[in-house]
Amino acid sequence: MIPFHTLSERHLVYAYLAVWLFQFGYIAWLVAQWRKSRG
Amino acid sequence: MPKWALAYFGLTLVVMAYGFYAAMTAPKEATMGNLYRVFFYHLPHTILSFVFPYLNCGASFLYLYWRNRNVERAAAADAFALASAEITVLYASIGLATGMLWGRAAWGIWWAWDARMTTYLLLWLLYVSYLLVRRFSATGQTAVISAVLAIFAAIDVPICFMSIRWWRTQHPSPVFGGDGSVDPTMVPAILWNMLAFAMWGAFLLGMRYAIERRRQRQSNAYALGFLGDETPQVFQEAR
Repeated sequence: MIPFHTLSERHLVYAYLAVWLFQFGYIAWLVAQWRKSRG
Repeated sequence: MPKWALAYFGLTLVVMAYGFYAAMTAPKEATMGNLYRVFFYHLPHTILSFVFPYLNCGASFLYLYWRNRNVERAAAADAFALASAEITVLYASIGLATGMLWGRAAWGIWWAWDARMTTYLLLWLLYVSYLLVRRFSATGQTAVISAVLAIFAAIDVPICFMSIRWWRTQHPSPVFGGDGSVDPTMVPAILWNMLAFAMWGAFLLGMRYAIERRRQRQSNAYALGFLGDETPQVFQEAR
């Protein structure tokens, strides 16, 4: 169960989500560029 | 993609998963409770966002040195500079976002114009402007202009790094070798996440570099295709 009741708990969850969103978003863009550049 | 790169990527994911586990199972902090766990992701990204600019700066120096001596090496250095600048922006963006989320919950404010945060925002703006110059400059001297900009931008890194030692700031003191020393039980989680995001950053850097080198080769082949038999001997060999 993810703690989400207080401001602190919500911001902790948002911080971890932000990291994964940025990192996996960027690597997804890189994979797309990698496939495009092969052609 | 080579098998060793995929194996390295797999290992990185394992270390990241363990870093996450270590961050979640570290003991609660006395005053902040669970909120302090933001710090396990904030610290590695911020520290690494001080490392990648130096790679960018070093590659830019090499580009300027090689551009009239060895075209191929200069192109490789330019590709590496671009890759490291992008990773800098990525890591600094995460450093800013996680820092602001922590600040709002811990201090009640999203932002304070203290020395650390202001110089860190400047760092982010400098490398965003570097990428914008590379994307939109149409002078034909883009690589030279961006290399010079990269060298000037790197000057902000030691100022930002030392700001929490030189000035009294809203930002917490350094956790290693400073007043804000960390509890020893929390150190393994910091180190695992540091290792995980360093490995991850190195993978992104290598992949972005390889993509840029491919793009350079395709661009050269495309340009040389127009020259036909008039192509000078040195470029014909490069075909």
